[in-house]
Amino acid sequence: MHPRAGASLSRRRFLALSAAGAATGAASLSGCAMQVSTGVSGGGETVTLMVKPDDLSPELVRQAQKDIGVKITTVRYDITKLIGMMTNGAPPDLVRGVGATDAPYFAARDVMEDLDPYFARSSILRTDDLDPVNDLWRYDGRTQGKGPRYGMAKDFSQDSMFWYNTALFDKAGVDYPPETEPVTYEEWLENAKRLTRRKSGQTTVFGGSYNGVSTPNLLASLTVAAGGRLFNDDFSRVDFTTPEARKALAWYIEYGRSRVGPSIVQPDPNTWDGPTFQANRMAMSNSGYWLGGLINTDKKLAPLARLAPAPVFEGGRRVSPCQAGTGLWMPKKARNKDAAWRVFEWFFGEGPAKARASSGWGIPTLKSLRPLMPAQGDYQKRVLKVQNAELEHFSVIAYTPYATADSLYALFNQEAPAAMNGRMSVDALAGRLNSLMNEQLKRGKEQVG
Amino acid sequence: MTVDQISVPDRTGPAARTGRATPAQRPGISMTARRQRAFYLFTSPWIIGFLLLTIVPMAYALWLSFTTYDGISPHWTYVGLGNYTELFSDPQTWNSLGRTGLFALTSVPLSIIAGLGLAVLVNRPIKGRGLFRTLLYLPAVVPPVGVGLTFKALFDQNSGAANGVITLFGFDALGWLSDPYARYVLLMSVLWAAGNVMIISLAGLQDVPRELHEAARIDGASAWRTFRSITVPLLSPVLLFQTVTGVIASVQTIMPLLLTPEGTTAGVTALPQSNYLYMMHVFSQYFALGRYGYASALLWVLFVLILIATGLIFKFTSGVVFYNVDPEAKK
Repeated sequence: MHPRAGASLSRRRFLALSAAGAATGAASLSGCAMQVSTGVSGGGETVTLMVKPDDLSPELVRQAQKDIGVKITTVRYDITKLIGMMTNGAPPDLVRGVGATDAPYFAARDVMEDLDPYFARSSILRTDDLDPVNDLWRYDGRTQGKGPRYGMAKDFSQDSMFWYNTALFDKAGVDYPPETEPVTYEEWLENAKRLTRRKSGQTTVFGGSYNGVSTPNLLASLTVAAGGRLFNDDFSRVDFTTPEARKALAWYIEYGRSRVGPSIVQPDPNTWDGPTFQANRMAMSNSGYWLGGLINTDKKLAPLARLAPAPVFEGGRRVSPCQAGTGLWMPKKARNKDAAWRVFEWFFGEGPAKARASSGWGIPTLKSLRPLMPAQGDYQKRVLKVQNAELEHFSVIAYTPYATADSLYALFNQEAPAAMNGRMSVDALAGRLNSLMNEQLKRGKEQVG
Repeated sequence: MTVDQISVPDRTGPAARTGRATPAQRPGISMTARRQRAFYLFTSPWIIGFLLLTIVPMAYALWLSFTTYDGISPHWTYVGLGNYTELFSDPQTWNSLGRTGLFALTSVPLSIIAGLGLAVLVNRPIKGRGLFRTLLYLPAVVPPVGVGLTFKALFDQNSGAANGVITLFGFDALGWLSDPYARYVLLMSVLWAAGNVMIISLAGLQDVPRELHEAARIDGASAWRTFRSITVPLLSPVLLFQTVTGVIASVQTIMPLLLTPEGTTAGVTALPQSNYLYMMHVFSQYFALGRYGYASALLWVLFVLILIATGLIFKFTSGVVFYNVDPEAKK
């Protein structure tokens, strides 16, 4: 037996042992933290993804380990948490983002990894196979759509298109919108008013929902459709008082004021169109092809639902942009870049990408996966025909790098209810939005430098 | 056994082997010093937590309040008191502060009255008293997020149960979650948690000596007079506590955000004006607009205002709060 065994532990010895233990622990923790992949396979490594639960199911996480030998840990997407992690120098290895609005914002702040070298050596994600929608993830320091690639979209839709429920059109005696030629925004709104059903102050059927993916991007898209531009050349200012932007703004305010669909003054408790459209309580839903993923699974709804092209303004341009292009990007300070890229390739080009393509939840972002889009039933063939025709009118509408979509949306929300409730004119609103948003953009420009 | 006997050194222990003096033998370490040391040792987890999790973040927020930091952009600047100057000229600050004051003035008395009323009821010797106490307290343990979801479902204009009842009687549905009704829904959500006040008041009520009530009854005092002249004065420290904590909680409430159907970061500014309280303004500046510096300044102003409000409450209630203490104890 050791002569000291059983003796009480002196404070000095306790402190010495504690210090040694702490030092050992710190060293091992530090060792873990500094463990950076050097290979390209990423085998046996752990990659942290900040995503929403719908982006990556637990089954897919297990599948990743099986397919590529990388263990994925997920952190729920939260912009505040992301900023905290980046500030602490320990960002996730891959982060969810909306290409249309997040790409220029984060790229301008130099926190995104340039993925061009990774694409250059990839045999799975070849640049000549990338759909043009992935250009939303490019930024050259001035303009979106050009320059290095900072991320990739997992799927996409042309988000100004809309679905309609033929049964509700029949019930209201309204002619179906054509599937090849666009209706005008004015006709769309008129139809929505005729399709809306109310009883005792309650809306039982929404005539139509038209809110885009995020309101600032919707307004930018509507302005382009009206023949103008919302942002100036260097994206440091907005102008809602130009005839085109005013026309777009006036249309959206009239949409909110007429209460034909969900808006900030009449929110849908479901928070998105899917369940309401599925319940036959919404005649038209401004959702792109991706809503087909839901519709495909509903045997009753599928034969009734049809997809229509993005509306146009009278005298405006026919454009059908993608307002989201949601995907993943890699922070510049990610610790496990090679393994993260392996996950990136797997997610965008292998099993999960093929599964998404065949589900109908959006158009695949690799051209080579297009043949997997669902086209078995008559209904699916019909929808695919409309969608393929609409691709002719696809365009990228560049967004400002100086403000988040949330910030401009918050400023819109602050003022627009007064106009939608008839207490403020559209011209007064345009002036207020110019003032508030340009102040926010000015602050952003100063901070980007 | 006395404390001194406990601290007699173990002659077989390390001190004996080294020949050094044990704490009890050290000259100059008095019992008071040892007690202080023990006090700090026992409270050190809290003190360390308080320093790391309260003082340090507050100091960091104070520093942020002098900058234009947004959490991510590379070029932020030191603006001195610029954020504070802007804050005082920002109409949203004053409007939201005014609404918050009004909300505190309404919600705190209402919840105290409701909670005290419930406490008086369940303090009576009625059948099933324990069950009633449990049922009335249950809503208070529902997390605020759950309350928000429930209220949103109940008061939705198109599918809520509240409008279901109204339309049943032939009236038109109301937009409960919009102005001008949204403020009433918010107040109802506060009263929903009146069980918290009830349980504390109940504990206070059970501390009121029964002989005082009996004496009052023998003297012919009515129930109301007994309640007003005996129960309320003896409960006054409890009521003061509830007032102070209620005011602090009400000015910090984020319940309006949980009640909005547009419960997103950017949706906070779409709240009905009547529910756009001070913390909503802070939230929108922090998380929607990314103005960490300005929002930190707003929070520091709120902190100072809470200190002032608490001081004023103590000052104005010092003559009416009855502390049942032994006057000899101070000697």
